Amino acid sequence: MGEILNKIYEMTAIGSIVADPRFLIMYALAFVLLYLGIKKEFEPLLLVPIAFGVLIANFPGGGMGVLGADGEGLVHYIKDGVEVSKNVYEMSLPEIAHDLGIMNLIYYALIKSGLLPPIIFMGVGALTDFGPMLRNLKLAIFGAGAQFGIFAVLLVASQFFTLQEAGSLAIIGGADGPTAIFTTLKLAPHLLAPIAIAAYSYMALVPVIIPLVVKLTCSKKELMINMKEQDKLYPSKTEFKNMRALKIIFPIAVTTIVAIIVPDAVSLVGMLMFGNLIKEIGANTSRLFETASNGIMNAATIFLGLSVGATMTVDAFLNFQTLGIVAGGFLAFGFSIFGGILLVKVMNLFSKKKINPLVGATGLSAVPMASRVANDIALKYDPKNHVLNYCMSSNVAGVIGSAVAAGILISFLG
Amino acid sequence: MNFNVILLNAAPAVEQLSNWDKFVEALLLMAIGMLTVFVVLLIIIFLGNLLIKTVNRFFPEEAKPVVQKVQAIDANVQEAIKKAIVAISGGKQSAQNIEKL
Repeated sequence: MGEILNKIYEMTAIGSIVADPRFLIMYALAFVLLYLGIKKEFEPLLLVPIAFGVLIANFPGGGMGVLGADGEGLVHYIKDGVEVSKNVYEMSLPEIAHDLGIMNLIYYALIKSGLLPPIIFMGVGALTDFGPMLRNLKLAIFGAGAQFGIFAVLLVASQFFTLQEAGSLAIIGGADGPTAIFTTLKLAPHLLAPIAIAAYSYMALVPVIIPLVVKLTCSKKELMINMKEQDKLYPSKTEFKNMRALKIIFPIAVTTIVAIIVPDAVSLVGMLMFGNLIKEIGANTSRLFETASNGIMNAATIFLGLSVGATMTVDAFLNFQTLGIVAGGFLAFGFSIFGGILLVKVMNLFSKKKINPLVGATGLSAVPMASRVANDIALKYDPKNHVLNYCMSSNVAGVIGSAVAAGILISFLG
Repeated sequence: MNFNVILLNAAPAVEQLSNWDKFVEALLLMAIGMLTVFVVLLIIIFLGNLLIKTVNRFFPEEAKPVVQKVQAIDANVQEAIKKAIVAISGGKQSAQNIEKL
């Protein structure tokens, strides 16, 4: 009887969990992330797959955790009771699936290959409307100001990490999940797990972080600046005779310009603009648009979320380096928001037409959540002050800005 | 523009850099990075304005006369909406005037 009970004990994960209680921390983390995604509705489309990925990756014997390759590309695992070390980049996909499990197959085939981030950018492009940005073109400059956090944290992190690792950490300040993954894969692939999770978690926490930074840096008077009234006081001379043609030409032109100036950003910006182009052309490419924005985007999000979550195994996550990344990522995020706000404040000093600092705060990506959060803050101070359209301008520009910043980091440090 | 060449010539192996060297390189990267992001977005703003002018000049849409016609809501539908509001609010609220926006 005792022997049977012992076998059952060994068969279940209980024995391993008792032997290494750190698993319980990972479950707690997964439950918190699930709570934030489901109950608090913080980016549920991302957070729920990631959190569930964390959960299923941390059951000993489940085989759903992603095995990170070391600097030489070696993965260490136990096969038929024998410890095996193999170069994962020399293993065939069926071998990875057979030896390491399906989660590793998804991870190495779709994420580690760098395939999914540009694919997701295509979907983001298909869901993005550049109309608000074109209508308020000048506000797009705040998409640059809000990249400050990336470079500020690069400076600080360079003292604790190698420059490549610091660059990967700093890109969290771009508030763009796919960009963070793409950059980390190029610069410091061994840090993908904590960086991806920090980037996505902070993106999900935009409704908490933006109000916090805004509260610390902006006065009530500034937050009550009504952009529509400013537009009436100082009307724009620009008129739009054919918005449709403009929206079609714009992605083609931007891709061309960015490709010439920062070639390393093309895989992200190019795919973003392609997705946008097939949206704007309309009926003739509607089938492509529907597939890019629904089928492909949703499938990519599921695979990305689950496998990124599954990289968060006990050994990969619970160490001081991860804590440094989590703290550094938060700083990068905060500094980026502050950078955008600061640029608005400086411009307001020299301009008659005042700008609400919330428009600067949304210069970091996280489209469209950052704009929605900023709009809610503005409405709290003045129920008639709708800043959404203005924020979308800097917000969308922030996507381009962070992709360019990523391109620069990859160019220099890759 | 190949940035690799510029930096790698100045800094051989990144792992061998001292903290001060890394700081200087990060500072340089900050200056170049922020400048490039600003320049790219300024170019995009300039390009956007140029495109707006070009499109306005060469592809202006034919202005279609906009006929605004506010259709009156059928009396039966109005009555049904009023009754529904009364029923849903439990008689606490009622509608006086229903218009199409």
